[in-house]
Amino acid sequence: MDMEKLKEILLKAKKLGFSDKQIANLLGMDEIEVRDLRKKLNIIPLYKMVDTCAAEFEAKTPYYYSAYETFVYKEQDESNPSDRKKVIIIGSGPIRIGQGIEFDYSSVHAVLALKEMGIEAIIINNNPETVSTDYDTSDKLYFEPITFEEVLNIAEREKEKGELLGVIVQFGGQTAINLAMKLKNAGVNILGTTPENINAAEDREEFSKLLKKLNIPQAEGGTAYTKEEALEIAKRIGYPVLVRPSYVLGGRAMQIVYSEDELIEYMEEAVKVSEEHPVLIDKFLEDAIELDVDAVCDGESVLIGAIMEHIEEAGVHSGDSATVIPPQTLPKEIIDTVIDYTAKLARALNIVGLLNVQYAVKDGVVYVLEANPRASRTVPYVSKSVGIPLAKLATKIMLGKKLEELIKDYDVEKVAEKVWIAKPKYVSIKEAVFPFQKLPGVDPVLGPEMKSTGEAIGIDKDFGRAYYKAQLSANMELPIVGNVFISVRDRDKKHIVDVAKKLHELGFTIYATEGTAKVLRENGIPAILVKKISESPNDNILKLMRDGKMHLIINTSSGKKAKSDGYYIRRAAVDLGIPYITTIPGAKAAVKAIEAVKTGELSVYSLDELDARIKNRF
Amino acid sequence: MESIKKVMVFGSGPIVIGQAAEFDFSGSQACKALKEEGIYTILVNSNPATIQTDTDMADKVYLEPLHPTIVEKIIEKERPDAILPTMGGQTGLNLALELHRRGILDKYGIKLLGSNIRTIEIAEDRELFAEAMAEINEPVTKCKAVNSVDEAVEFAEEIGYPVIVRPAFTLGGTGGGIAHNKEELIDITSKGLKYSIINQVLIDESVLGWKEFELEVMRDRKDTCIIVCGMENIDPMGIHTGESIVVSPIQTLPDEFYQKLRNAAIKIIRHLGIEGGCNIQFAVNKEMTEYRVIEVNPRVSRSSALASKATGYPIARIAAKIAIGKTLDEILNDVTKETPASFEPTLDYVVVKIPRWPFDKFKTVDKKLGTSMKSTGEVMAIGRSFEEALQKAIRSLDIGRFGIIGDGKDKDYTDEEIEEILKNPTDERIFVIAKALEKGWSVEKIVELTDIDEFFIKKIKNIVDMKKELEKLKEEIKKLNA
Repeated sequence: MDMEKLKEILLKAKKLGFSDKQIANLLGMDEIEVRDLRKKLNIIPLYKMVDTCAAEFEAKTPYYYSAYETFVYKEQDESNPSDRKKVIIIGSGPIRIGQGIEFDYSSVHAVLALKEMGIEAIIINNNPETVSTDYDTSDKLYFEPITFEEVLNIAEREKEKGELLGVIVQFGGQTAINLAMKLKNAGVNILGTTPENINAAEDREEFSKLLKKLNIPQAEGGTAYTKEEALEIAKRIGYPVLVRPSYVLGGRAMQIVYSEDELIEYMEEAVKVSEEHPVLIDKFLEDAIELDVDAVCDGESVLIGAIMEHIEEAGVHSGDSATVIPPQTLPKEIIDTVIDYTAKLARALNIVGLLNVQYAVKDGVVYVLEANPRASRTVPYVSKSVGIPLAKLATKIMLGKKLEELIKDYDVEKVAEKVWIAKPKYVSIKEAVFPFQKLPGVDPVLGPEMKSTGEAIGIDKDFGRAYYKAQLSANMELPIVGNVFISVRDRDKKHIVDVAKKLHELGFTIYATEGTAKVLRENGIPAILVKKISESPNDNILKLMRDGKMHLIINTSSGKKAKSDGYYIRRAAVDLGIPYITTIPGAKAAVKAIEAVKTGELSVYSLDELDARIKNRF
Repeated sequence: MESIKKVMVFGSGPIVIGQAAEFDFSGSQACKALKEEGIYTILVNSNPATIQTDTDMADKVYLEPLHPTIVEKIIEKERPDAILPTMGGQTGLNLALELHRRGILDKYGIKLLGSNIRTIEIAEDRELFAEAMAEINEPVTKCKAVNSVDEAVEFAEEIGYPVIVRPAFTLGGTGGGIAHNKEELIDITSKGLKYSIINQVLIDESVLGWKEFELEVMRDRKDTCIIVCGMENIDPMGIHTGESIVVSPIQTLPDEFYQKLRNAAIKIIRHLGIEGGCNIQFAVNKEMTEYRVIEVNPRVSRSSALASKATGYPIARIAAKIAIGKTLDEILNDVTKETPASFEPTLDYVVVKIPRWPFDKFKTVDKKLGTSMKSTGEVMAIGRSFEEALQKAIRSLDIGRFGIIGDGKDKDYTDEEIEEILKNPTDERIFVIAKALEKGWSVEKIVELTDIDEFFIKKIKNIVDMKKELEKLKEEIKKLNA
């Protein structure tokens, strides 16, 4: 083949935006082979400037995009790598559920840390909405797709001059983490926790072995490659179980399953299970309290930013659960255990940077659910709540600083040898915010799959007021007086009595469907009977809601896949803007909030009042 | 201008669909801009994941609910001279309106910056908006809320078919549609009224299939106006601009018509008395003989974040400086540090924006795209050509695709499926267009089914043709190695 013709075709493809992966697939090669061929043919990207004036004036703070040209002269490249020490931060791309603005926050803090250290901060991102792609955030911005090819191209360009210390992948969410090993294999230095240790935390079996070695409890589980295996595993560990498919059919995803019949139904309808698409089955710790911990480690010393107690019950995704800092219901020995496990995990995984660990506490035992060696969604919430910029500390640690030195200026408590924990000044509650109003037809019930798009905070001196503010921030204004509708699934009826009793004492009138009303009346709580939708098409709870007679809805889901009365009630609450609660713990928290606000005034606090007791401002 | 020393800035609260990270970006820019001018800045936002709520961004930060009761407590405590609500999305504007309605602004002697109550009300209320546009002879779509089938038929006959029917407050999002004739209207309206919780539907003049354009406009107190950025929605009217693939600069509008829209935009921003940034959306018919003003946002928006990044012109920063009395010629463009902010940006590249939908998390939700937003975010890509920028944007979505076609992830579609998706778009439509072209469907047929301008379909065809050329190359390499 004529090399000139080959070059001509490949160059034309690159100019039309073809990735190496597309070309590799079409030519029956692999991505690296295409890359090597491209370079041999001198087909390399040039970086062009975004300057607002089409080069009519020289720009001072430009940013760059890549392009391919017919004739390559170095002078055409406008990126001008500096002769400084530099670090590339991989951003998190578009906002989606599970990977949002929180990661951008961490990226921006990484930039601030690098600038403080006199290191050139370079960001790669493609999200036009964010601060990290603001023209005056980083020293340099590449507005590019976050893929192996593009990141490697940029790293190679920046290596040409100065010293590229490495790439940070901890702040770009799963997108960046997924690139870590490939980049390392291609000769790029990954700063912080190594890709191998990242994999150790992510690999299910490897992580399980590590926990056994450290003597840390983990919920029992298994991997099923057939329906029969799934049933056998579930029987062995006992119901309920959390089922997680790797290949999804029919719109079903993660689900909590309570019986063999349910599991059979699930396996037959919802998932395609095979050697290539196994199903993960884990013991579901019902009624457990779930915790999230964000920590920073330099490989040896550990700072725990916060232990976040989930308000929602176990089974609700951590991103969708309201959480509170500091924990409100945990005894000291549990907290000590959580601290101990977190420190052990951080050291065993050789964490250099951030670590997020998720736990479940049941019957006095602390189980590890998951460990993520990277920034989590909660880093900004924790940083604001306790007044310590975790992402900044993590960045400096990745560049060789020692934790003990970095935390000298902060008011933290030493709880063990080389282990510290932050001391929050107020109660901070994070509430998730959901897109249900914009997604008509979606059931607003919470489950193991994340649905929220963002979060809001409530800060105050006590839990009740903080929770009230968090709900207000999440566009859910809890009523102080009025009518409450309560209808809960059978499993929740024993828990709802206390909630209803308290609401009654606070002056609310309670409406309920037959089953719930019966339980309430048996416990001495007056309840006005309301018909279900299926009982009476025209004279039912929906009419009362539509007529503005209901001020709060408490309705938990039976979990059945068919659309039920509960679905229509919850959906109407969303559409009509009536505050609604779909979990028992959420209802308990709401009662505390309403009581607190009825008995006292809300105050407002500025952030420096939260920071006021820290020795130095950061 | 009277002395303003203390300004309160509203953030936009938590990330929701339709209001996302772009307000952290604009709010951060605004806080920095105000501080540069020596103004004591107070920020209120309940979103802890924002940079603007960092302690060194504003002089004082309140991580508190954006609710009038709470904000009044902060006002009482801080006594600002003015409030800048235009950096907090619709939340910011709505809050400003509510503070006004409760008399709080008057009580504390607070001035609104960047916009005024009248302008906010006009932009929000369809009737006021139509009146204001009529005053300057700018055409808008006609619309009416009705409570009966008879009313609907009467209005439709007045404005002509087809019309769009939208029920107010529905369960499960059902009951809307497009009526091409009286029979369809009666059917759709009957269902709509039944499903509507408040027994009401909106009847709207249809500009379905028309082209959609947006202009970002900037104006100062001396009445200097510039167009920062023109953007073209590849997807036609009928799909929310936040749900559309957008390209900049505008690709398919002749200059004379562009000048018409430009003149209209300047007229509008002047008539509404907006000082700072403003986003205006236009519908233009396919023959390019008519247009309608669709929407005016008297504040920075997601589109202005996109326009800022597409051009390098810091809209929010400059809007904040205008809000406190600076003029465009006095403000320096921070990117060049040579040109004044009155210098209109120029692009020598192509920018493509693609929305990012959450359908992988809501597997039962209807994926069809329409007039309301479902996307949670977006990506932007820059290239020397539309083809390059489009493929880079697809790679940026992080949905496992490495280009529009030929990356080994192509799905097979039957001809019936292709026709259905081309006519009723989902998040997959851009890939389906490529697949149709690969299967030999003509550009004309695809244009007819999608209402997407021929220009863009031909560009995608260039990519598909290149895919075939690479496949041919593979065969040649194989022969060579044999």
